[in-house]
Amino acid sequence: MAFDWRQYRCEDAYDELFEAAGKPRPAARNLYSYLQSTNAKDLADRRLAADLAIKVMGITFTVYSEGKMLDRAWPFDILPRVIPRTEWERTERGLKQRVTALNHFIQDVYGPQKIVKDGIFPAEILAESVNFRPQCVGVKPKFGVWAHICGSDLVRDRDGTVYVLEDNLRVPSGVSYMLENRMVIKRIWPELFQTTNILPVDDYPAQLYDTLAALSPRPGDTPTIVLLTPGIYNSAYFEHAYLAQQMGIELVEGPDLTVGEDDCVYMRTIYGPKRVDVIYRRIDDLFLDPEAFNPDSLLGAKGLMRAWIKGKVGLANAPGAGVADDKVVYAYVPQMIKYYLGEDAILPNVPSYLCFDPKQREYVLNNLDKLVVKPANESGGYGMMIGPRASKEEHAKFRALIEKNPRNYMAQPTLSLSTGPTITDSGVEARHLDLRPFILSRGESTYVTTGGLTRVALVKGSLVVNSSQGGGSKDTWIVDIDDEAPPVMPPQTQKQGGQ
Amino acid sequence: MLSRVADNLYWFGRYIQRAENTARLINVNSNLMLDLPRRISLGWGPLIAIVGAEPEFFELYDEPTEENVVRFLMSDTRYSGSIQSSLHSAREILRISRDTMPRDIWERLNDLYFYVQERGEAAVQRNTRLVFLNQVVSGALLIYGLLATGMSHDVGFQFLRIGTNIEQADMTTRILDVRAARLLETADSPDLTPFENIIWMSVLRSLTAYQMYRRYLRKRVNGAGVLRFLLQNREFPRSVMFCMTTIASTLPQLPNSRKIERAIDRTRALVRDANVEVLLRSPDGIPQLMDEIQIGLGELHGALNEAYFSQ
Repeated sequence: MAFDWRQYRCEDAYDELFEAAGKPRPAARNLYSYLQSTNAKDLADRRLAADLAIKVMGITFTVYSEGKMLDRAWPFDILPRVIPRTEWERTERGLKQRVTALNHFIQDVYGPQKIVKDGIFPAEILAESVNFRPQCVGVKPKFGVWAHICGSDLVRDRDGTVYVLEDNLRVPSGVSYMLENRMVIKRIWPELFQTTNILPVDDYPAQLYDTLAALSPRPGDTPTIVLLTPGIYNSAYFEHAYLAQQMGIELVEGPDLTVGEDDCVYMRTIYGPKRVDVIYRRIDDLFLDPEAFNPDSLLGAKGLMRAWIKGKVGLANAPGAGVADDKVVYAYVPQMIKYYLGEDAILPNVPSYLCFDPKQREYVLNNLDKLVVKPANESGGYGMMIGPRASKEEHAKFRALIEKNPRNYMAQPTLSLSTGPTITDSGVEARHLDLRPFILSRGESTYVTTGGLTRVALVKGSLVVNSSQGGGSKDTWIVDIDDEAPPVMPPQTQKQGGQ
Repeated sequence: MLSRVADNLYWFGRYIQRAENTARLINVNSNLMLDLPRRISLGWGPLIAIVGAEPEFFELYDEPTEENVVRFLMSDTRYSGSIQSSLHSAREILRISRDTMPRDIWERLNDLYFYVQERGEAAVQRNTRLVFLNQVVSGALLIYGLLATGMSHDVGFQFLRIGTNIEQADMTTRILDVRAARLLETADSPDLTPFENIIWMSVLRSLTAYQMYRRYLRKRVNGAGVLRFLLQNREFPRSVMFCMTTIASTLPQLPNSRKIERAIDRTRALVRDANVEVLLRSPDGIPQLMDEIQIGLGELHGALNEAYFSQ
């Protein structure tokens, strides 16, 4: 018997696939009619097949816990999230606009700081930004692009509006899971790819390679590009190895690199030193170069900053790009778009209250039980407080934290994140989710992934989607509903599966 | 090829070879113990001497009893040379070098590693030990097979071969060193004479050389013959000479190999020119030669390190 979608409870939030119980949204109709024709055993079998595929393909993420490194299988839900193409095109435009403005902002901040002088952006926020790197002042990277790779988190509120929750401009991760999710889902639902026009995602590694190659200081040659990883203890190591392999570039660690007297970067090979043109670095600014930043860092290479400032090597993302990856700076992105591009923001920000402003701080402190409080510079969902779900003690703790260091905190109303049907141990249930698309900036053009990584909170009612904290993921389908083949029923054998 | 990756491949070869050799060593000693009468038992101490881990062993255990030695060499994660630790090290290397070796290797090594992790402790007992050790040997051979047939024989592959062969030459000389010393010590004791052959046979068996030795020499096993075969034979893959020649054969594919070639040539000359009969006559003869070969292998490792790994 098929799952009875009339039993699907989705009225507490905006559901991505259903307008109401048993009533699918237009883009999800094909998927719905297909699921209608499968029985519970089919679904369980496909779920098992997906788990097996993930194990065999070795798709893992690493959790570091109690001094031990654990390689966990990537938690994946086989019911995809579907977005109509027309809606996506608007989102895509919004993301391009946003990242373009952010890059203008970073270039400006490390240059003339016009936005500050014109009174749009408060000087004190900049002065207290922990991600502002004085070492970068006066540097002009190629094309004026600092954030070559950006991962922005999108959420949808109850009324269907898509908001940008944050922009990750330092070392955003997750794109390999987007690619692997699609590989897995093609094995699981091959029939659906015949009937539904699902746009492909696998162009990303090639696009990333082109983005990186464009940064080479020696144009014309085939550039030597490397991916710099902190090593296997990093939670995203799987992704580092995966992307290096997909792009056919060398996966290097800090000790593999040296910077010569000539300020060029070399990697140690058995043939002797070989010059490196572009580094896709996946380690944080402060560990990049012990000469310029944290002198104790063993992860980076001494002299990298020097090489980059002299234009002898391309670095993506540029050091210092994180200045715009700050939850307080975030609140000013709509003003940046207006200021640099003369446009209105296509994608709205989530309303934000900045604690450094006395009025807004007062509002935050009086409404701690209604707001989500976030530190300005943490990622991965750490150090935040979801007011309505927090205890009195936690409220008090955050009150003290905010009063002690107001610049470091901002608050947002609790959005009711949209949901999608997810297979759980107690049947199909609605779970909250978000979306992380990846944006590549190359100066003359900008590329946005087709969809992105949908992260889903596997715990009932939870709003935390990070894989380090019990989140999973879904494949994301951008579906062209104007260009669709008539639905095909699954083969007879499968219909009879559980009878 | 990155220096670090070359270094990893070299050690991957060594660790897998070490796990296999250690499994054979325990296996053969288990059988030897069954054949020798209790009063002249050689005991398990020599195995610790062979792998050169006396300090590590006696820090962890009081007596070199069968159970202690077998556990130490097989499943003790506190000793870096145990089968389980060697496979663990190989697995950690593979985790970071997965892109250089075929994907199957990762899956097969995982199978083997999890098997050892699950069964190692139980296999300390005699009745399950043999099956376990055979499984380790087969697992290692499967990995070689996959490497030889599924990996491009590129420069990375040459580093694997160098690692495998240097480890084998090392183990062969260690076994000869310890066993020969022990046999020489007791050469005058009439008690041992009837068992001398059994012991030399076990030396051959721990290097899977017994059958090939018999085909080659076609006469009864004796000390000089075994030593010559395991040191100088050019056709048996676990003889020191064969290993050195294999390493030399990788050099045309490697850059800047002059110093390595010289290190190999010195050791090869040492092995080739050794007069086993003469050495056997003096009590220090064989141990001294083995020491010199060991030093030669150490120099070779140093030369590789200097030329490639620490670039």
